[in-house]
Order: sequence, then structure tokens, then C-alpha cells
Amino acid sequence: MKRLWIAPVLLAALFAGGAVRIVQDQCGPFTDVTPSFCPFVSELYYLGITAGTSPTTFSPDDPLTRGQAAVFIAKGLNQSLARSSRRAALGQWWAPSFFPWVVGLGVTPLPEGLGPLVCDGFDVWVGGNSHIFRVRASDGKLLDTWTIANPPSAILAAMGRVFIAGGASLYMIDPASPSGGATQIAALPSFTAGLAFDGNRLWTANQGGSVSIIDPSPTTPWPVTTVRSGFQAPFGIVFDGQHNWVSDTGSCTLLELDSSAAVLRTVNFGMPDCAIYAPIFDGSNVLLPNGNALQVVRASDGSLVATVPITTNAAQVAFDGERILVQSSGGGQNTPRGLTLLRAADFSTLRIEGFLPIGGPGIAGIAADGVNFWVTFQTGNGDVLARY
Amino acid sequence: MKRSVWARRLLLSAVVVCSIFAGGAAKIVQDQCGPFTDVTPAFCPFVSELYYLGITAGTSATTFSPDDPLTRGQAAVFVAKGLDQSLARSSRRAALGQWWTTTPYYDLGLGVTNLSLAIRHVASDGTDIWVAGGSVVYRVRASDGKLLETWTGATSAHSILIAMGRVFVVGSTSIASPDVTPGVLYMIDPSQPAGPVTTVATDLGNNDIDIAFDGGRIWVTDSGSSVAIVTPGSSIPWSVTKVSTGFSLPIGIVFDGANIWVADVLAGDLLKLDANGAILQAVHTGASQFIAFDGAKIWVPGPTAVTIVQASTGAIVATLTGNGIQGGNAAAFDGQRVMVTSPNADTVSLWNAADLSALGFFSTGAGSLPYHVCSDGINFWLTLGGPGQLARF
Repeated sequence: MKRLWIAPVLLAALFAGGAVRIVQDQCGPFTDVTPSFCPFVSELYYLGITAGTSPTTFSPDDPLTRGQAAVFIAKGLNQSLARSSRRAALGQWWAPSFFPWVVGLGVTPLPEGLGPLVCDGFDVWVGGNSHIFRVRASDGKLLDTWTIANPPSAILAAMGRVFIAGGASLYMIDPASPSGGATQIAALPSFTAGLAFDGNRLWTANQGGSVSIIDPSPTTPWPVTTVRSGFQAPFGIVFDGQHNWVSDTGSCTLLELDSSAAVLRTVNFGMPDCAIYAPIFDGSNVLLPNGNALQVVRASDGSLVATVPITTNAAQVAFDGERILVQSSGGGQNTPRGLTLLRAADFSTLRIEGFLPIGGPGIAGIAADGVNFWVTFQTGNGDVLARY
Repeated sequence: MKRSVWARRLLLSAVVVCSIFAGGAAKIVQDQCGPFTDVTPAFCPFVSELYYLGITAGTSATTFSPDDPLTRGQAAVFVAKGLDQSLARSSRRAALGQWWTTTPYYDLGLGVTNLSLAIRHVASDGTDIWVAGGSVVYRVRASDGKLLETWTGATSAHSILIAMGRVFVVGSTSIASPDVTPGVLYMIDPSQPAGPVTTVATDLGNNDIDIAFDGGRIWVTDSGSSVAIVTPGSSIPWSVTKVSTGFSLPIGIVFDGANIWVADVLAGDLLKLDANGAILQAVHTGASQFIAFDGAKIWVPGPTAVTIVQASTGAIVATLTGNGIQGGNAAAFDGQRVMVTSPNADTVSLWNAADLSALGFFSTGAGSLPYHVCSDGINFWLTLGGPGQLARF
């Protein structure tokens, strides 16, 4: 019995020593890499970032061209993003599809009239007619239903609260409290479609031609500062960590604002074929749906760095850290609608799903929580919140 | 029934419309390779990616010069900017569109959960926040800050650890004099209904302070000049090995994936330990309390500065002063940023963990005493000793 134990141990020792020695001596497949460089070179090889200069050489002392460096950096970045996503840790390497929805998977039926939505990292908050629904992201279960006086047009999660723009009012929900009615905390000058937070104050894009800044206050109503100069018909608003950006459908511009809502920079998209919607930020660029394209504007300098074609009539966009989902709203009676999934790093297309029938259901809102994208559908025959 | 109707409409139209949508979306981007005219198709996907991400602007408005040699300086820019983009985009805040740095409104009741004046350490399990305080342990839902559960019987609960699907808390059998009474390790099974905690070890050092996990065993520091190593067992009590050689007043403790590090406040040293608790290396940082590891470096908060120690070598790579540090007490890392609490100044300070640049410091309110801090990847969570609140940042 003892002999049976001893033999495997000896064999294991021999194998272990041999295996380690081969890897160390050769540094993966490479025979020209010194031990001090080997951990880094072998990592790049195992990650698929380099194949070397031949099957057995890496040529560590050769100079690097800018093109070769771009390959190293881009592939390294892609690996980092893919591996650090929550989907990687969960083993969810698949690309999303709408097909599970057809058999009733991944959908939460909700009352008709669904609109905007936001993720707080755990739950999904969905606006619809005179309600705000709280849905658990893990299983799609409807947890709470809150009432609101006006149909929600924008939702934001910040400071442990959920803020909702509805009509010309701003409402607040304390998610830790029992569900009930949302509290009106501010009156706005006109209908508001865009809502943002700069870490300190709330911002609204008011379609009547202004931007409002709302300061948190111990009592309601919270004080509102409204700025009209420079705005015609603001629609969406997003904070990039430094400044707010507003899409103005009246002037067909994307406006970068200072902390007082004065316009710092104007990116003009030109009339008359203007079809801009609400912008989002991806960590370096402001992404703006505009007709049959997604406009990509560098936040640091306001330059237009790319125009990514989208079929047909890009209307809403969401970012999950690695990918961008664009909703196409269609351009009329005879144009299709659907979803386009892009790689955020280079805007290449990952998947296009033009599944929405002409005259059929419409997507009312999209958002991301780092695991799934979430989509609200107005089907005309019962609305649903669906994970994508 | 309703679902089947709209689902059938989706299915019928899918095949037809997919063909209309397919193709063309990426064409312009590919043909132009961003703004560059000198990049071959083989290199284009990688070069254009760096351009769209803001990592390179090329060598002119229309050229990237892919065959030019790369200098070490240019390489450093590429790698650092690439790393920054990766960190920013892979944070949980990015997916939620939360690009802001919060200004606290704790005085307005925003982002705070009222607990008790006895709260001390805080830890996240990824979904909920656990707080040790007095003789109880609180479980707070991170999504909305709601107090979910209160676990009892954790006498003198001070520090807290989430590991192996359980919550571990160090305390003492004595409320009045924990400094002369052997410490206790409590355990909570979060899947069970809230109730009394379970005592799993009773022979720790006096006045236990901080707790860490190395993947197999639990380590506890105590101001009785020792470090205790607790090995989980099939029966209670779990075995405890105490090591006192070389320690004067160990406080903060953290595991870096390879070794345990202990901040000895009396000696002013950061101590790297082997698997048996023997000191492998002492780095003189000055007095410090509760330390944090950011994947490469140990952050050591001190009275007037934060000392940054490279874990691989033990070298002090930076000493950060200013940025609101006054009696730095505890540090936490959220994957991209490090926060340090300064209870003496009622402030928290924030740094970019990659380049050590200061991101500012923020008042938590007069008399708020921000004591300990943790992160769940979206928010930092603070214990405010003054009002007895858990606060999200």
C-alpha cells in the first residue's frame, strides 16, 4: 500500500520539475528570451498578443515600430477589458440575442407605456405612464411599484436615491423606504427629456430652451437655477467626469458646458437632416445618435473622430464598459427597426438585429448594468422589460 | 397570451429585416482607418482602436507612421494611456454611466444609513455592506442603503471580513476591558435568519484590531503585540496559532495575494510576513493604521502622509502629502481609486491609484469622524463615528 503512494509522488516530482524547467528555459516557444524578460514575453504569448518573429523567436532586442506597438497595446487593452468585465467572471462569454425573448425568457411583463430606465448596479428602475417599477436584475422579478404624477421621461440613480424627470417636474424616490408615491422635489421650466448628475448637482435638459441646475437641499423644493442663453431645444445631457454635454435638437449641436451651464464648445452637426437624440459617454468619447449614424466626439477636444453608420435612425445608445448598444427607431412606415451592438474600442459591428416589425413594437429605452443590457419594449400588446 | 403575440411578430419579421440591416455598419471606419492614410489593412484595426480611444493622435493629422521606430517615451505614453482606458472602462461605474465624483450630502440625509455610535469597520460582500459596531453586526443593502439585518452577540465587534461565504468579525468577550481580555472570532452565515453570531475561536490576542484572509486561514492583529492565525476546522473552536516575535503594536493587516503585510504603529514599520507569521521584511513608513493593497502597491495612511510601498520589492515608491490628509486612518481601493479617511479633519481624500495623482478631498461634515472605509466597486462606504452612520461616497 505504501508503495502505491510513493510511486505517484516520485513521478509527480519528476514531471513537475521537468515541466517547469522546459517552460522557464524556453519561455513559451521562444528560445531567445532571457529569464528577466520571460515572464512578460510569455504572458503576451499566452494571451495571444504576440506570436513572435518566428515559431521559436521573439527577437527581444529588435526595435519596435509604431505599428507593432499599436498591435501590442490594442490587443492588450482588449484582453484587459474582456477579462475584467463582470461577464467574464460569470462565464458569460456569449453574445446577446433577442431570440430567448420569443420563448418568454429574460423578459418581465409590465404595464403598458414603458419608457426610460436606469440601472443602480443591483436593480433596474423602469418608468412607465404613472409608475416607476423596480425590477431585480438577478432574476427579473418585479420588486416595487412607485407612483408618479407625470409620465417619466428620464431616470437617474445617484446619492442612494432615484431621480425622475416627468413633465416639467423633478421627482425623487428613497429606495430604502416602502414603495409609495415619488416625492416632487423641484419644478422645472418646461418638459425635460434629459437628466444628469455631476457628483454635486442635478442637471436637466429642458426642451423649452433651457438647462436647469438643481442643488440638493434639506427642504423641498430644491433650488433650481435655469440657464437659457445658448440653448434652443435641449434634449439629452450627460456628464463626462469633467463637464456636462447637451444635445440641442433646435440647433442640431452638441454643447459642452462649464459648471455654470455656459457653453464652452459647440459641435455642429448641420441642418436640415438633423436627427440627434441623447448623448452618452464611454470614458473618452461622447456618443451621439444622429439619424443613420452614431457620431463620436472626443470629449477632451470636441473633435469628431468617427461617424459610424447605423441602420435606420439611431435613437438611443448605451455603454457597458466594453460594448455599445444602439437602438434604431426606424425612419417611417417602411423602414426597419432594431438593435446594433458595437465594440466600444473600435466601433466595429458585433451583431445587428433588425427584428422589430414595421408598425410593430418599439424600443422605449435601453441601459446597461455591466452584465446585461436592458431594453424596454412598447409592444402594443403589453409592454416588457427585457435583458439583452 | 400577450407575450406570445408580440413574440411571434418579432420572430416572423426577424429573418426579413436582418438582411436589410446586415453589412455596411463598419465599412467607413475600416476604409478610412480613422484619419490615417498610411496604415495598411493588417495594422488598421489596432491603430484605429488606439485613435478612437484617444491613446494616439498620430504623427500628423493624417499620418500614423506605422514603420517609424517607437521610443521608450512614446511606448510609456501608449501603455499608460491604454492602462488608464482599461481601468476606467472596466469599472462597474462605467457600465452604470456614473462618471462623477460624489460630493457628500450626508447632512441632508442623502446616501446615509443610521446605525449606531459604536460602528467601527465596514466590508462589502459585493451585494451587501456589513458593519461591525458595539455588540452587533449590521447588514445593509448596497443598492439603496436599507438596513436588512442586525446580528447580535458580537461583543466588542471591531473589524470585519467577508470570506468563504461567511462573515467573520473580531471582538472580545469583554465590553469593558477588551485590552486585557483574549479576543474572539465570530462567524455569521448570511444565508441564515439573523440572530446571534457564532463564536469560532476564543483564544486570540488581547484587544483585537484588524483581520485578513490568505485564502486558507484568517489572520488577526492585536494590540497585545501579536498576530493570530486561525485555521478553519470541522469543529469549534478552530485552532489558533499566535506569533509575537517582532511585533510591538500591529494594527492594520492585508493580504497581497502572496504575503500578509502588517502595519506596526509603535515601530512605524510595515512588515511583510511569511506563511508562519515570521517577518520577512520591515519597511519603515512611520506610524500607520489600516492599510490597503491595490494590486501592486500597499497604501499606508499616516499622520500627515500616505506612504506607497511596492509589494513586490518593499520599496517606498512615493510619499503623498497634502490632499487633506490629517491623521490618515484607513485606506480602501475600488479598482481605480484609493480613498483614505482622516477622522481628525472630518475629511476623506481620493487619489488615482495608477499615477498617484490627487483627486481631491471632501468634507464628511463637522464631527462626522470618518473612521473606516471599503468599496464595492461602485461606491466607497464609510463609517461615520460621529453620527453613527454608514455613508456611501
